[in-house]
Amino acid sequence: MSITYLRTEILRMYRNRRSLIFSMLMPVILLLLFGRLYGTETLGGAAVSAYLMVSMGLFGSMSAAIGYGGTIAVERGAGWNRQLRLTPLTPRAYGLTKVIVSLLLALPPLLVTYVVGALALGVRIPALTWLAVGLISWVGALPFAALGLVVGYLAKPDSVQPITGLLFMLLAAFGGIWVPAEAMPDLMRRVAEWTPAYWVGQAARSPLFHAPIPMTAVWAVLAWTLVFGVIALRRFQSDTARA
Amino acid sequence: MTATPTRPDAGAPAGLAAPPAGVPAIQLAGLTKRYGAVTAVDGLSLTIAPGEVVALLGPNGAGKSTTIDMILGLSRPDVGTVAIYGRPPQDAIRNGAVGAMLQSNGLLPDLTVGETLALMASFYTRPRPVRQVMERAGIADLARKRVGSLSGGQQQRVRFAVALVADPSLIILDEPTTGLDAQARRAFWASMREETARGRTVLFATHYLDEADAYADRIVLLRSGRVVADGSAAQVKAVASGRTIRATLPGADAAALAALPGVDSVDIHGDTIVLTCRDSDAALRKLLAGTAARDIEVTAQNLEDAFLALTVGETP
Repeated sequence: MSITYLRTEILRMYRNRRSLIFSMLMPVILLLLFGRLYGTETLGGAAVSAYLMVSMGLFGSMSAAIGYGGTIAVERGAGWNRQLRLTPLTPRAYGLTKVIVSLLLALPPLLVTYVVGALALGVRIPALTWLAVGLISWVGALPFAALGLVVGYLAKPDSVQPITGLLFMLLAAFGGIWVPAEAMPDLMRRVAEWTPAYWVGQAARSPLFHAPIPMTAVWAVLAWTLVFGVIALRRFQSDTARA
Repeated sequence: MTATPTRPDAGAPAGLAAPPAGVPAIQLAGLTKRYGAVTAVDGLSLTIAPGEVVALLGPNGAGKSTTIDMILGLSRPDVGTVAIYGRPPQDAIRNGAVGAMLQSNGLLPDLTVGETLALMASFYTRPRPVRQVMERAGIADLARKRVGSLSGGQQQRVRFAVALVADPSLIILDEPTTGLDAQARRAFWASMREETARGRTVLFATHYLDEADAYADRIVLLRSGRVVADGSAAQVKAVASGRTIRATLPGADAAALAALPGVDSVDIHGDTIVLTCRDSDAALRKLLAGTAARDIEVTAQNLEDAFLALTVGETP
């Protein structure tokens, strides 16, 4: 682990904060839109406004985590990764730094959507529930941080934008952001159950229903993190192509 | 013919990177790399002693970059082995024994020059002071500039500084002056000379003949992934072109001339004969002893001719 590298990456993210603002804009707009339409209804004992707020926060944190990993494609295109391979920095330290920064970037979208939810949609839930949904959502960004690494390694610099865009849409659909998980058609739900987005969504929203986190969700998040992490690490080790 | 000139002041720079005595800086054995049907590097063997300054000379596609990638462990040879100071490249990189300047850009545009070098220095246990490296590369005044705002030549100097920051005893440069103007090239080699004066080992790839001739102790000429000549500039010239003998010899017998020792080809224009020789001395002895040749002229081709002779044309 290199503290200087971590600090440098955080500095770069601060400089490129415009992309971070975009990762917050989309969920906030959707939250305001859907919140005005359905905000006063309830769903299975929870306020729809709170349900939407948690979902949108998740969408924002997922997008930020995947989007950051995607920038690896651009760094590879610039030959930066080849340069790093000529230093003692290990692949593991590199990947770990990327995951830590992804998780840091996943925080602001969560905070912003929660503030908008509370102020604009009048979401009122107990403090502990706020904390629980926030924490679960944040930890739930882990498989997406790992997925971001995979995208960063598989995509080309000019294809990374459309690929991440498509991923956001699919994740949003299956994470219960366009359609609440409870209202999904049977087939879609069956597909959704194989995605990390679905399970992170279910876990993050469970405190709203005073329900425990489903164990399947814990396993799904761990398994997807592991799968993506291993693929990313393998790609790093074999990534020697000259850009 | 393998020349391994070691300069009297050769020795490792101070620091962790000090290599063990008597071990070659680089040892390549039977290196082969194929990309599909193309054999980029074909059974290449090469030993570079500590303190040597070696040019890897060849036209585009000769396998220079592929060879350098394998030396640095950026790609794995299909066959053959690479050792830097007797160990795998990764070990040498971890110890800060190697500094390299690749052809690809390799810099992040959103960092400043100072940040880039501070980051690179942070990876090593005993780096050179960043300030000193920036001065050596002539970029001290650019420390606070973003890399993305620099000109191509300035970025090249930053990459040179990156190669030096580990205080490596072995420096590998892949076409370091491509895209630089004549003045920038001279400035680059001037600072390079100051570095090599400290006993560093240098391997640089180039397709500029004058650079190889002027800055290398030893030239390794590559064609189609093979070493076609290896030695000092003078030796490479001799091997490549041999020499040309011109003489006046009325009624010359082409077959008899071609049969002389050391002669590669014979041209006859009226009374003038032109013998292209790989060993002009041997040919000359027989020519003087056995024929009536007069007005004899022996000329060596320049490195440019040698280069063309060896690298143009079909694979043998």
